[in-house]
Amino acid sequence: MSNLLLVIFDLVLLAGLLGVAWRCLASTDLFRAVVLFITFGLLLALAWVRLEAPDIALAEAAIGAGITGALLLVTLERLRSIAVERRRGRPDQPPDPAGADALLHALHDPPPPRRTFVPALSFALVVGGLMVTALWHQPDAVGLEPVVDEHMGVSGVDHPITAVLLNFRAYDTFLELAIVLIALLGAWSLGRYDRLPARPAPGPILPGTLRLLVPVAIVTGVYILWAGSHAPGGAFQAGAILGAAGILLVLARPRDLPMAPSTPLRLGLTAGVGLFLAIGIVGLFIGPGLLGYPPEWAYPLIIVIEIAATLSIALTLVALFIAGRPAGDDH
Amino acid sequence: MIANTLTVILILAGLVFFAAGTAGLLRFPDVYSRLHALTKADNVGLGLVILGLMLQAAGPADILKLLLIWVLVLAAGTTAAHMVAQRTWTHGEFESDR
Repeated sequence: MSNLLLVIFDLVLLAGLLGVAWRCLASTDLFRAVVLFITFGLLLALAWVRLEAPDIALAEAAIGAGITGALLLVTLERLRSIAVERRRGRPDQPPDPAGADALLHALHDPPPPRRTFVPALSFALVVGGLMVTALWHQPDAVGLEPVVDEHMGVSGVDHPITAVLLNFRAYDTFLELAIVLIALLGAWSLGRYDRLPARPAPGPILPGTLRLLVPVAIVTGVYILWAGSHAPGGAFQAGAILGAAGILLVLARPRDLPMAPSTPLRLGLTAGVGLFLAIGIVGLFIGPGLLGYPPEWAYPLIIVIEIAATLSIALTLVALFIAGRPAGDDH
Repeated sequence: MIANTLTVILILAGLVFFAAGTAGLLRFPDVYSRLHALTKADNVGLGLVILGLMLQAAGPADILKLLLIWVLVLAAGTTAAHMVAQRTWTHGEFESDR
């Protein structure tokens, strides 16, 4: 009975995922598409919970739905305000099909109908066929679970996911952190930040709520970071929660952004990658190899790396939301 | 047994509120009445579901966690509703809202 109910729940969830994904892709209104994308992320987090992967569910809800959603929304608003501003600058000229008018047009009006059904269908059939073939010939492997379980003793932590992420496959996690940093460098290389298109929310409600919510978010973030060594959690999820708190603070005061001074900000942004690399290189010289730790030192080293990574991820996400180097910084 | 029955009743009552809130969101004519339907109904609905789940909790820690979830959703939902209403009041409804 309860099995049947779970199967029904899974089927409804799958149908919801497919339906929301379809509506998101087919939507001609970009704002609606972003909202549907956030909904999709939340449903996907539920699907990860059903697959008994709470770590991924946390990351999907916090980063995939929350932070990415906020980034997409602010990008949309920024595009709109840039387009409106440019067009206001030259009202008497004819519309420029490649410039700001095209942008505004794309943001507001549905695209013309195109005959894409047959190519799209054939593409979907080919890709789907390839995937089915690949899954069909999947050998009955047990995966890496036994190998990980066997080596938990030398990992320094009690949670297999954290052991894989920060010890056995530390290289992957290091590259993930580096990619987050490179994304920010890309955004910064495009210029200094112009102010957010958001207006300050009038009234005491938003600042009052934030005064309540931000401390809760900080406690939750630190808890999730600390829990990562023995339960679902870890640096990415904790960093996303702290970053979300920072984004809310930025949104509450969009006119005077509370930017940190340049040098500490840069140190914080690079702390995760820098410390990870430094510890990894030390590991190369004292024995275990690049990005390896001696087993007796594994736990403190992993904790140090996770704390630095959390700080870096949180700062990077807020900086990506603001998009652009801090003002008054011309180096 | 009593706890299980109460849980079922409370969660079903909560689901009724969720359904009513969703129906209001879909059917009501403007932003304000939709917000009214959504926030009021979802807050009570979630409260009832949480109450039902509290009866199944393993200990005081779980009960407090559930309570915390409800309070946080209340705070976030109220603020979000206020901000949507404020935006609509000062700038009018989005075109796609109508």
